[in-house]
Amino acid sequence: MCRIANAGLLAAWFVAVVAMPAAAAAAFDLAALMSLLATPREGTVAFTEQRFVKTLDAPLRASGTLSFAAPDRLERRQTEPAAQTMQVDGNRVTLTRGGRSKTLMLDASPEMLGVIEALRGTLTGNGALLSKHFRTTVSGDAAQWSLELVPLQAELKRSLAGARLWGRQDQLLGVEMTMADGDRSVTTIAPLSSAPAASRPPG
Amino acid sequence: MRGIASGRQHAAIVLLAWGVALAACLVLIARTPLSTDLSAFLPASPDPGQRLLIEQIRSGTASRTLLIGIEGASGPTRSAASREIANALRRDTATFEQVANGDVAAFAAIGQWLVEHRYLLSPAVDAQRFSAAGLREAIDDTLMLLGTPAGAAAKPLLPRDPSGEMARLAESLIPAQAPRSEGGVWVSRRAERAVMLAVARADGGNLDAQAAAIDRVRGAFSQVQAALPGGSELRLLISGAPLFAVNSRSTIESEARQLSIVGTLVVGLLLALAFASLRALAVGMLPVATGMAAGIAAVAMVFGSVHAMTLGFGATLIGETVDYAIYYLIQARPAGAGHASAAAGQPGWRRWLADSWPTVRIGLLTSVCGFAALVFSGFPGLAQLGVFSIAGLMAAALTTRYLLPVLVPNGAPGQGLRRHMARIAGAIVHHLPRWRLAAAVLAIAAAGVIAWRGAGLWQSDLASLSPVSTAAQALDADLRADIGASDARTMVVARGPDAQAALAAAERAGAVLDTLVQQGRLDGYDSPARLLPSVAVQTARQAALPDEATLRERLIQATSGGALPADRLQPFVADVQAARTMAVLDVERIRDTPIAALVSSMLMRSPDGAWTALLPLQPAGRNGTIDTAALRAALAGIDAERVQVIDIKHELDRLYAGYLREAAAQAAIGAAAVLLLLGLHLRAMHRLFTVVLPLALSVLITLGALAATGTAVGILHLVGLLLVVAVGSNYALFFDALQRRAALDDDTLASLLLANVTTVAAFGLIALSAMPALSAIGRVVAPGALLALLLAAAFTPRRKAGD
Repeated sequence: MCRIANAGLLAAWFVAVVAMPAAAAAAFDLAALMSLLATPREGTVAFTEQRFVKTLDAPLRASGTLSFAAPDRLERRQTEPAAQTMQVDGNRVTLTRGGRSKTLMLDASPEMLGVIEALRGTLTGNGALLSKHFRTTVSGDAAQWSLELVPLQAELKRSLAGARLWGRQDQLLGVEMTMADGDRSVTTIAPLSSAPAASRPPG
Repeated sequence: MRGIASGRQHAAIVLLAWGVALAACLVLIARTPLSTDLSAFLPASPDPGQRLLIEQIRSGTASRTLLIGIEGASGPTRSAASREIANALRRDTATFEQVANGDVAAFAAIGQWLVEHRYLLSPAVDAQRFSAAGLREAIDDTLMLLGTPAGAAAKPLLPRDPSGEMARLAESLIPAQAPRSEGGVWVSRRAERAVMLAVARADGGNLDAQAAAIDRVRGAFSQVQAALPGGSELRLLISGAPLFAVNSRSTIESEARQLSIVGTLVVGLLLALAFASLRALAVGMLPVATGMAAGIAAVAMVFGSVHAMTLGFGATLIGETVDYAIYYLIQARPAGAGHASAAAGQPGWRRWLADSWPTVRIGLLTSVCGFAALVFSGFPGLAQLGVFSIAGLMAAALTTRYLLPVLVPNGAPGQGLRRHMARIAGAIVHHLPRWRLAAAVLAIAAAGVIAWRGAGLWQSDLASLSPVSTAAQALDADLRADIGASDARTMVVARGPDAQAALAAAERAGAVLDTLVQQGRLDGYDSPARLLPSVAVQTARQAALPDEATLRERLIQATSGGALPADRLQPFVADVQAARTMAVLDVERIRDTPIAALVSSMLMRSPDGAWTALLPLQPAGRNGTIDTAALRAALAGIDAERVQVIDIKHELDRLYAGYLREAAAQAAIGAAAVLLLLGLHLRAMHRLFTVVLPLALSVLITLGALAATGTAVGILHLVGLLLVVAVGSNYALFFDALQRRAALDDDTLASLLLANVTTVAAFGLIALSAMPALSAIGRVVAPGALLALLLAAAFTPRRKAGD
């Protein structure tokens, strides 16, 4: 079953790659988006997240803050409905929930690595990093852009079908992830109302 | 007539006794097993903490673990190769206990087993968690995993495990320091290389089995290489303790063979040149051969087995017994006209017995003192060499004393090159005293260099004794860094009289370590108690599980208004009920389960029946180290008899430093015994001084040369210096004896030179050995023995004309 499903995915991906029409030249492309985003940044924003899980009767909601410090430090601090944090520092990930913390190597788990690199690649304007893990499609313009990511590696594809990130100028405003089983999560990002003027918001 | 008859009778008795003794030795040798276990060169009697370490080195999981790397070709080809090889090895369950290459599919069996036993194993299971409020919180927590990449694993289990015990187990079992995963398998972070671990089932000491396991890996690799497109570009790297042990064994075997053959040829050639007679050659070899047989037999009796190293190098160590034959064959020749002291018509051997035997005997005794230091060195391998040498020397001396007079009463008739040797020796003896000043200057310089190097002169770690080449050590370090897991330098050790006590101690230590992990002072730790909790803990968890009616009622409260309705959780209720009456796990019950190998790598029974749990620690931070003192302080509340912190590198270094101190003391005692013996033999202070001075200077200059070349001086160099004293004392004694005779005796001079050349040649061969332990001895003894001869000649008092 699993093997057949994977073969199907692979075929779909192949068709997608081959059949993909070449992006119109001179349009707003990955390079343009990346140069827009490539500003060293550090700061904290608020997020709200909704997850649509097929077996559940209602969507799950969570909210909290996201922090980023270039080049590779990322923190997701959830405050609602329960406190839990994920801190990424280079290749180390520390998960804290229920008063316990657990440290892991990021690259030991390709699905976690893929999701984190999608965020880090976007927030640092690192097109090469994104292209290493994903097939990228950029649409819109600088005032309102959207970046679509489709995983290249089979291990990542097994859990993540794709992601879409959108924003305005150098700000990331939202992330939508579609899991391989069809579940979705939609995260919207807003600057913290009390953000100090000196620090740029990460998105 | 009677004289001749009793002479014949005496000869017959001697021959018979020799024949019987030799036959007994040969029978004993034939029945003794040969060992090649490298741990013979690890110290034998450390304290309990160190004993654990030695046990681990000898038979712990590390001693059976192969580190495998696959390089070359493309990333996908390497991943495919890793998967294929790992699968082939996993199928060979008779050879391999565990094969880990990061392939998640391989953990299906373990995962299934964990799911079945999750309520006995999950640290979260208690009465509070199964209250209505606790269940609500747990279910909310589990739901938060859904809709994330991690949700894919949690989702299918949700109806059975809404409280997320598997997620909780995974959290505690997933190592903090895991290898990078790419293409579904482990890869190096620093090189284009797939990596894996294979743990052999057979004991680490069973080198035949380890060699077979290595061959299996090579075989699986070549099959995969042939089958995969682009496979011909793949390269296989293997490392790990089993490979080192197997390679060292073959090095020992081939070197032992080569050295004995080359050694025999060199000694034989020297004898042939010296005597130009095959008969003399054959007779000359008799004491050595008898000594070999007696030495091996003595080792067999004392140790029950003979190490290959003893066989290979013993012959070289008792090479000086060739000297006995040389002294005899030359000095027992009938007295010529020039010998005033010899009575005409007396058989040659009587002259030897009167003139030379006492000197040979005292030389033998000093050598025995030297080798006695080896017996007490604390390294079983070296102790074997000591016993071998002492028995061999004695037997060779007895053979020379009793058998040679029967076989060749008048020594060796042939002249060979001896006249030239005597001339050379004479010239050396004549000219050398002029070099006294130079020797003294050299000795002072040596003392200066030694003083300047100070404490840095002494080697303080065991690595130098390792027979593994630097390149192989570098590859090993590389693969270990790639895999990361076995980098645990520090571990907590929990002991108990039985498995339950050890597990309970591991749980108490684990509770403290958990706190340290929360405080960020550790990244994590492993413990056997996570997979196999003590029976008490499992029973307490079972008692916390509510009965069916209560659980249903609480579930309804817990899920009201939530996203997951209670009626979907029937499988959960059923699993909890099954777990309440499930038989608790113990060492016996997990024996044939998928987790057996994982547990046994961390929970083991010592030979004395006690049990030990190992808890390897992962330091905090990117390049963290562990503050052992703080760790000990944190664990101080726990029964100190049961729980200890072991810093492996530190313990090994401490172990070695202890042995170095002990070896230095033994060398000093050995030297004092040699001095005492010489004093008793010579009975005059000035003679003792002339004999000891060249020995002391030889030792000083040799040690100075080691210091000047930057060599770190270890136990084996000390042993070598002791051998210099043992061998060199023979030369000094002969010069002392010569100097008291009427004229410098050509024959004795020739025999001394010949004896010295054979010794230097034999130890020179040892110096070329690829085994660091042996080459260290050779590099000290070969130059040291030469120096001893030259200095003995140089410092022998000149006789005045007409004296």
